[in-house]
Amino acid sequence: MTWPLLKASNIHKAYGDNEVLKGVDLEVHKGEVQCVIGPSGSGKSTLLRCLNRLEVPDQGYVYLDGEPIGFGWVGDDLCELRPAALARQRERMGMVFQSFNLFGHLTALENVTLAPRLVNAEPERQVVARARELLARVGLADKADHRPDQLSGGQQQRVAIARALAMQPEVMLFDEPTSALDPELVGEVLGVMSELARDGMTMVIVTHEMSFAADVSDKVVFMDGGQVVEVGTPDQVFRHAQHARTASFLTRVL
Amino acid sequence: MSSATFDDSVTGKVTGARSEPPRLATAETKVHRLKHPSWWVGGAAVLILIGTFLRLLFTNENMKWDVVGDYLFHGEILHGLWVTIKLTALAMVIGLGLGIVLAIMRLSKNPLFQSVSWLWIWFFRGVPPLVQMVFWFNLATLIPEVRLGIPFTDVVWHTWDMNSLMTSFAAAILGLALTESAYAAEMIRAGIMAVPRGQVEAAAALGIPGRKVMQRIVLPQALRIVIPPIGNDLISMLKFTSLVSVLATPDLLYSAQMIYSRNYQTIPLLIVATLWYLVLTTLFTVVQQSVERKVHHKPLLQVNRLGFNPFRSGKVVP
Repeated sequence: MTWPLLKASNIHKAYGDNEVLKGVDLEVHKGEVQCVIGPSGSGKSTLLRCLNRLEVPDQGYVYLDGEPIGFGWVGDDLCELRPAALARQRERMGMVFQSFNLFGHLTALENVTLAPRLVNAEPERQVVARARELLARVGLADKADHRPDQLSGGQQQRVAIARALAMQPEVMLFDEPTSALDPELVGEVLGVMSELARDGMTMVIVTHEMSFAADVSDKVVFMDGGQVVEVGTPDQVFRHAQHARTASFLTRVL
Repeated sequence: MSSATFDDSVTGKVTGARSEPPRLATAETKVHRLKHPSWWVGGAAVLILIGTFLRLLFTNENMKWDVVGDYLFHGEILHGLWVTIKLTALAMVIGLGLGIVLAIMRLSKNPLFQSVSWLWIWFFRGVPPLVQMVFWFNLATLIPEVRLGIPFTDVVWHTWDMNSLMTSFAAAILGLALTESAYAAEMIRAGIMAVPRGQVEAAAALGIPGRKVMQRIVLPQALRIVIPPIGNDLISMLKFTSLVSVLATPDLLYSAQMIYSRNYQTIPLLIVATLWYLVLTTLFTVVQQSVERKVHHKPLLQVNRLGFNPFRSGKVVP
């Protein structure tokens, strides 16, 4: 069996007395799409944010391609990485947020080119060419010069996906990417994500879109109360849930 | 039961009793608008006041418009004007530069940076710029010379005499710039906090290093938000450079004062100074508005403009 591309082991996270994650494990293999579902407050988003260390876990480690995130091995010891080194690790994981978080003062194209221009020593022309390609891929070639406030929510989220892809990440993390969208705009974003999944991108998606999750996932992870309750294929989880909590959640949302 | 009686039961009004159709207005109906006699009374009072003021302005011989004309482009006045512009520009640039640093310190996670910045803002917003200027000017009494060396040892590489270092111009700049830095810090901090936190997280997730996140994402948006209050500060700064006349710095006001102390034409020379201040203020306002129009494709956020005027006493925000 191959080593997973992304592995989280025994992740704990508490805010004061509020224990949000109680020892969560996650394994994502290259090319796999995993959807994390569960009631709100179950710790899904916190888990995702622990994966690229936007939240620092109290306990447990995340490994990307066997490399511990936020740490480096020195002999047999783990040393916390300097911010610059952590940034190098983070650029290997693209992240898409619920609230898009586009840079408000930049156009769609500039949003996509900013990180490659600042981080990579790539020729400007190559960066812009790739950014235009990515915008075309998410169906926004004609919006390259628009500012975020001139775009609809669905368009903003697709720019955000293109922006994350511009760093050529090995994994894409999606944190409820359609939860802030008007219902009629959800489809365009899910469409782009399905296509990305078809192209073989490794993806971890926190979502409330159950039919999308059933459609696109290789594995579905059900979380409740800061723990992973059940992991399986969409068929196993959605049709033959092993746990009562999974079944009761699914009857409420389906 | 008709629908009209259903409404009657709800409103309690008897509307079904009308036997004739109601009168409707036609194109020919003459309409009388409401009159506002108080507008005319108030307007007349204001007009009388304006008239009195204009008569004072143009018929009072002590205004001496010919003297005003003679001195408007006098060499000494123009030099003073130039000093005023230099003071305003330098104090603003230094104040804003320090303000950015102070704002970032105030928002840093390091408690020492936070408290130093807090103390700085508390002090320089609390001490009037005039008091500061006089204090800086007399600094030599406290610290006679400035030494460059290794602190707490006898190693000294160079020594300067404080009296020759702290000219009246330098003292003036310090007083104005340090006061401005405290106010600029608070408004830039507000601007930085107005940039959505999610953008910083998105930048971090993309692997953009922290310093560049500040430079390329947060500050450009924060400064855009604070352009209106900065413009406001610039105009205040222009006016408050006139305080430097107490240090005998030959700015616009002091130049006018020097002339009228020789020829006793006090009012005309004060009018000369007034006119130039108004010209500059108008110019700054026009520039500010055009800059605002350029960068504000759409107002991102409304920032409270009150309390940003450096020389107006405001509530101290801890």
